[in-house]
Amino acid sequence: METIFLIFILFLGGAIVTWMAGKLGNIVQDILFLATIIVPSYLFYANVATGYAVDFNVGGIELSWGINAFGWLFSLIVLGLGAVVSFYSVSFMKGKERRGFFYFNFILSVMSMLGILMSQDLVSFFIFWEIMTWSSYLMVVYNGNDVQRIGIKYFVFSAIGAYAMLMAIVVIKSITGSFMIENFISAYPSFSFDMQILIPILLLTGFGVKAAIMPLHVWAPGAYSNAPMAYTSIFSGSLSKMGIYGMVIVFTTMLSYVPEGIWFREVIAWLGGFTAVFGTLWAIKQDDAKKLLAYSSVAQLGYIIVGVSIGTPLAMMAGLFLAVMHAVFKGTLFMVVGAIERQTGTSNFTEVTGLIRKMPWTFVAALISIIALAGIPPLGGFVGKWMLYESLITSDHYLLVIVIFFSSTAAFLYCYKFLFGFFLGQEEEEWAHVKEAPALMVVPMMILAGLSFLLGTYPGIVLKPISEGMQVLGYGLTQGELWDTSIILNGWGNQVVLQPILYAIIGIFVFFMVFVTLKGFKSTRYVTTKDISSSGEVPLAHENLTFSQNFFQPFLRAVEPAMRRQIDKYYNAIANGLESLFEFTRRIYTGNGQTYAIYVIVFVVILLIFKDSIFG
Amino acid sequence: MDSIWFKLLGVVVSFIVAFAVGMTYMGLNRKITARVQNRKGPPFYQNFIDAIKLGSKTTAIHHGVMQHFGPAFLMVSSVMSLMIIPILNNGMWFSNLNFHGDLIFLLYIMVFGPLGMALGAGQTGNPNSAIGVTRGLSQMVGFEIPWVMALVALMIQFHTTSIVDLINIQVESGTWLIFSSPFAFVAAVLAMLGMFRYSPFDIVGAPTELASGPMSENGGKYLFTMMSSASVFAFAKLTLYVDLFLGGASNLIELLIKTFVIYMIPVLYGVVSPRYRTEQSIRYFWGWPAFFGLLAILYAVFF
Repeated sequence: METIFLIFILFLGGAIVTWMAGKLGNIVQDILFLATIIVPSYLFYANVATGYAVDFNVGGIELSWGINAFGWLFSLIVLGLGAVVSFYSVSFMKGKERRGFFYFNFILSVMSMLGILMSQDLVSFFIFWEIMTWSSYLMVVYNGNDVQRIGIKYFVFSAIGAYAMLMAIVVIKSITGSFMIENFISAYPSFSFDMQILIPILLLTGFGVKAAIMPLHVWAPGAYSNAPMAYTSIFSGSLSKMGIYGMVIVFTTMLSYVPEGIWFREVIAWLGGFTAVFGTLWAIKQDDAKKLLAYSSVAQLGYIIVGVSIGTPLAMMAGLFLAVMHAVFKGTLFMVVGAIERQTGTSNFTEVTGLIRKMPWTFVAALISIIALAGIPPLGGFVGKWMLYESLITSDHYLLVIVIFFSSTAAFLYCYKFLFGFFLGQEEEEWAHVKEAPALMVVPMMILAGLSFLLGTYPGIVLKPISEGMQVLGYGLTQGELWDTSIILNGWGNQVVLQPILYAIIGIFVFFMVFVTLKGFKSTRYVTTKDISSSGEVPLAHENLTFSQNFFQPFLRAVEPAMRRQIDKYYNAIANGLESLFEFTRRIYTGNGQTYAIYVIVFVVILLIFKDSIFG
Repeated sequence: MDSIWFKLLGVVVSFIVAFAVGMTYMGLNRKITARVQNRKGPPFYQNFIDAIKLGSKTTAIHHGVMQHFGPAFLMVSSVMSLMIIPILNNGMWFSNLNFHGDLIFLLYIMVFGPLGMALGAGQTGNPNSAIGVTRGLSQMVGFEIPWVMALVALMIQFHTTSIVDLINIQVESGTWLIFSSPFAFVAAVLAMLGMFRYSPFDIVGAPTELASGPMSENGGKYLFTMMSSASVFAFAKLTLYVDLFLGGASNLIELLIKTFVIYMIPVLYGVVSPRYRTEQSIRYFWGWPAFFGLLAILYAVFF
């Protein structure tokens, strides 16, 4: 049998068996779950070569599954993150209800994402896309909180995206007579002008919903924060990247064939820029860690969208590198929130504080990921940010680079809020009992944090598959021109050499670390956070010195005019308008048989009265 | 000449120079402020005395591991900036890491320290520290905008992001960038007012209100490290301005004169200014400074 079929059979069969196995005991279920994620992933990397595809025929429709180098790059995100998070999930779901349901949807999500990457035809692409939407929807409503508001919002926007995509597929089929993506792309330049405009708009709407680009992002904060954190890691880390995957293909194939493509690029890039700014501003406002990270995900996807839509080799590389990095650090951060929520029962900054001494390993993972998120050297986020700025400057997007810079400087604010809110600040009696999360949760976080660190100095590890994927999309060879194992360059020949920088940073840090603590570390004694200078007074145990309310109030005051308008309100206005329209129609279609009888009689009477003028 | 020991020596020498110059400038600042306020003021070498006193003290208590890290993070940022910024324009002495990083890298390594410091301040649990940090970060978002606009204007005008290239352009053409891109200079200098955190932008550590903000809870060697980091960082920033706009300096005397002139801008503006609230200072930076930044970009694109 073809390995590709075997992979999907294993995923699908494993998902069902795992769900059923709940009766056999929790450990059996856990092992089945892990095996269902790990075994097909292993088969995929061991046996499926890039460029290989199987064609087959279902019900008279030609289908084709295979993988190219570009899909292979995204498979690293999907299967790599999926495997790491699956170990975390086992520990996360311990003692929770409906584990089978969670595992089932988790496996289906991973399978459908791999399916999207392997689909060479539009039918299976759409089917996998829908499986992905459904499984993620079921995860969003897993907790049963706010299903009416959050679940429906996610569903309505997914439906808008799916219908747009379906419409595009139908149009393509009617023009080319084939569902093959390859055929469609090669025929695209010969389409009429209207179709050349319409099809990218429909497809970008479909992909834009998943990538949470403004104004299609409103589902994201609620959906990301409502799903179980173990799932949100892959929801935000890899599922949203499927939107990016689709967008990149639209940009590099269709839109590069037609002269109007440049306008699409500019508009989408600016939308991405605004997504980044407003996502960041709203993230700063949040008091709940889940919401904060959800808005931050929206903002980070904005950077990625800017990169891929500008589309110069450096910008595309920056966008794809950031996509990988975002999966790594945002996956970790959602896991951190999950661990804290599991240990303390809350994820609200105004409630929990001072965990650094109770959960040190979680803190280290969070610290490294936050530094990567903020884009501070020498971690991986910096490489992506650097390439993004340089690509914007070298491709004449001077105002966009300011917008992006504003957003990523403002991101420091929520980064600090995240670390301070959970880990630093006053230690309170209430949380004195909190223990470090179980090893099975800490180890996946540390692995991903280590990866953030590694990619900051040796970005070449990821840039190699990226540049191979880009060659499939028609870009030239970039190694040596724009990057090397630990050097990044811009188009003008300026460079950042990462290895000596890492050594210098470590050297200086260690030197002053030793200088400060030499002789001091042993002789000083630890005192509680109540033992502080407060104008000569001694704060008593019951006095509350925690600072967590209105954390960035001065900043929010300064940007208040920009946050007065919310896109949500406009959507609500539209929804209310539609609702009153439906109310009006209900007055006509009352559902009452007698009313309908009157309509019929009135109609017949009208016919009788005007029979001469109508029938002549 | 290229051996690792020679490079290390270069780092140590530039660190000592930066430390001494920065400390002296800060002492002069105290003296000038005092004279403006009709006080006698401390001698200009008072900061050295303070530094020696702090450095020789032992610390009795600590609040946890991040508090140890804080000063070290701060130093990483200062020393890395010093190593990336070319000190002299002849490219022979003190070239440290000049060719390994560019302006964008510099922008990010410059915020590394304040953030690391903020973490250290956070763990002490003093609410004043955290309040100071939130103010500092908010204000940073304010002044980074005109500052980046100025830098982007320079980058697109000369098609390079490297500081060394920008100096070479000035040396070769004989025209300082202060003349060839004046709006960028105005925007950058206005942003510098915030960067130095003197009045009117000193709400971060507002001594009478927040008990020095992020610095409270730190004494002895910790405070000494922070103080020396601040003076090294001040020197690095001033050198950067000289490199970018005043054509760099071919010897130390020239460098001292130029940096002193630049340093007088925030000092003299500060002594006659009251204090802004955080949101006022953010809006200040997004007003005229950002406008000049925009002009600089337009100027660079069209001329």
